[in-house]
Amino acid sequence: MSGQIYRMTKNQHEAPGAGQRRDGSDLLGANTEIGRKLKQYYDELVSDDVPERFAQLLSQLEETAAQQGGRAAAEEKD
Amino acid sequence: MSVSTGFKDDLLGAIPSLRAFAVSLSQNADKADDLVQETLVKAWDKQTSFQPGTNLKAWLFTILRNEFYSQMRKRGREVQDSDGIMTGRLAIHPSQHGLLDLEDFRAALELLPEDQREAIILIGASGFSYEEAAEICDCAVGTIKSRVSRARARLQEILKISGESEFGPDAIATQVMG
Repeated sequence: MSGQIYRMTKNQHEAPGAGQRRDGSDLLGANTEIGRKLKQYYDELVSDDVPERFAQLLSQLEETAAQQGGRAAAEEKD
Repeated sequence: MSVSTGFKDDLLGAIPSLRAFAVSLSQNADKADDLVQETLVKAWDKQTSFQPGTNLKAWLFTILRNEFYSQMRKRGREVQDSDGIMTGRLAIHPSQHGLLDLEDFRAALELLPEDQREAIILIGASGFSYEEAAEICDCAVGTIKSRVSRARARLQEILKISGESEFGPDAIATQVMG
């Protein structure tokens, strides 16, 4: 198999939105292997399911704030 | 109160990006989720200091990043400096068909010093401008640029990719086989 030249038709693997990024497109754009892998790596992380605990945490914070707000308003009236 | 609700929704919406950034920084899913949790609590407490109309994502990334480094310091771990890692001894060989595997890439990313890794992630994946990344990392724009370029060079070295961008899309097309 040595000497066999792997050649493929010129296929432009352009990710959607390629070239629209403001910066880094020159060095890390969709035309570079590193740029593509970086996006693939990151997009996979972004699309991970978000654990329920975060929404619960924010609801708790909101509730606490509402209670404190109500208390502060009541104190102001006194 | 309705302001808080809007803020809460904005935070909820930012969680996937925050987790991605946290995993990229810490290279550990559990630590990453702890970081995100800390970030959300801190952001909530500091919400009056957020200026509406400015970039919430950048603001949150800044908080998360500060939290990451302060936790590292607390654990007594030295922050890696850029020259602290010898990548030469740890080369990753792309699989035989020449395609770069995502696992290989992940392993290579992990070998980068934190400052380079965060720079290349912020610029190349999170979609921030150099100016925004510089603000998040509290450094000069030139510093971010040089970290990105060193990160890229190092990744190429580890992954045995030759300077592809210098040869344009044609040279790349021959690499993208499959």
